[in-house]
Amino acid sequence: MKEFFKSSSFKVLLITIVVLLGLIIFTASAGGSFLASLLGFVSSPMQGVATTVTENVTEFLDLDGLSKAELKDMVTRLQDEKAQLQQRLADFENIKQENEQLKELLEITSERPENKSLAASVIGRDPNDVFSGFSIDKGTLEGVSVGDPVITSRGLVGIVTQAYATTSKVSCLLSEDVKVAAVCIERQESGVITSDIMTASSGLLRFNYLSGDTQLKEGDIVTTSGAGRNYPEGILIGEVKSVEKAENDISKYAVVQPCEDLSAVKDVFVIVSFPGKGEEIPDVDLSSQPQGGEDAE
Amino acid sequence: MRDFNRVVRYLAYVLELLVLFMLQETPGLLPAVFGVRPVLIFPAVITIAMFEEELPAIAFGVVGGLFCDFGLSGIMGFHALVLAALCFFVSILSKVYLQVNLMTAVITGIWTIGLTVCAQWLFLYYFSYSMPGYAFVHHYLPKYFYTMIFVPLVYLLNRGLSQAVRTQEN
Repeated sequence: MKEFFKSSSFKVLLITIVVLLGLIIFTASAGGSFLASLLGFVSSPMQGVATTVTENVTEFLDLDGLSKAELKDMVTRLQDEKAQLQQRLADFENIKQENEQLKELLEITSERPENKSLAASVIGRDPNDVFSGFSIDKGTLEGVSVGDPVITSRGLVGIVTQAYATTSKVSCLLSEDVKVAAVCIERQESGVITSDIMTASSGLLRFNYLSGDTQLKEGDIVTTSGAGRNYPEGILIGEVKSVEKAENDISKYAVVQPCEDLSAVKDVFVIVSFPGKGEEIPDVDLSSQPQGGEDAE
Repeated sequence: MRDFNRVVRYLAYVLELLVLFMLQETPGLLPAVFGVRPVLIFPAVITIAMFEEELPAIAFGVVGGLFCDFGLSGIMGFHALVLAALCFFVSILSKVYLQVNLMTAVITGIWTIGLTVCAQWLFLYYFSYSMPGYAFVHHYLPKYFYTMIFVPLVYLLNRGLSQAVRTQEN
């Protein structure tokens, strides 16, 4: 046994453990590391190719499994849809033109700059991630930074939690780490969107901190409120599925069905800049506030 | 010539780890069962360790672990540390106490992958998130069993790789 502890391989193991402990402490305190960026450089191009090939093969197999009649139906349906969309596009162009003319007439200028976003593809989903996080093919070299919101055409899906040179890691709304200030415009009620392992495994979210007499009902739309300035306001999050009583207090929470299937997202947009991003929230001088809880609110 | 063959074998292992990493990370490639997908790197490094000396075993444990750390976007070094230590002991056990065959590979996989998954649950989930029991039953256990299915396949792959290059050496 003594020989085992004196062997050179055991000493190498000890040195390796010490070095790795150092790496753990370094990355835990400093965030992203050169090593992670290097691994991203090596793996991201191949992951991108593998993802594209898989998507194409899956699509091909899906189509191959359909019968002739089903394919005919699909073509007819798509042609109808195309005709409808073309009609809507023509209407849209007319309305857009009319809108521009009215703006000029009334001298309305765009008061708020638009969100600046970047298209990205999902190239990886780690099996070790309990909350369905994913990797995208854009990193700091393209302007992505930690904290950038990630959306699809349907709505919010998550936030960038690690940004390496050519890739980034996104924690999706199902993660317990992600908390989003949200609001239901119709009912004028606000709260916080969170999740836990139980709701995440069903692909659902919790809209927490609603008052006990909440008016929220099934089918109400929940969007980002913009409070905290971590997310732009007005981004769709999902639809209320049910309203339940909270386990620990008299408040209620709503179960929200996300607008997007968060565990199967393929193409996303990273909002690299939006109005109010990074601005500090002004400190509220409590001493100057009027006395009394209701007034202070 | 022997050194050259060894380098070829090690390069083949690194390439294998890279390919398996890509396979496990690619969305939609391996079907999800009970919402989980297998971690192919775990059986790969454990079976490589069965065929290699202690030092290469530690090195491949570190490489495979770093891939897992990178994929998870967690703390770099956690999986590398766990897998390096396990690969070291697997290498010694295979050299001193075990015959390397399919049966011993599966038995080794059962305890090593079990330990790794338990370490993940304890250090990456238990202290950070709520409902650890639910997570263990609904995520970590299914992932463990799903990963175990790949142990024989990866063992056969690595045995073929090891034997092919060693035959050339001899």
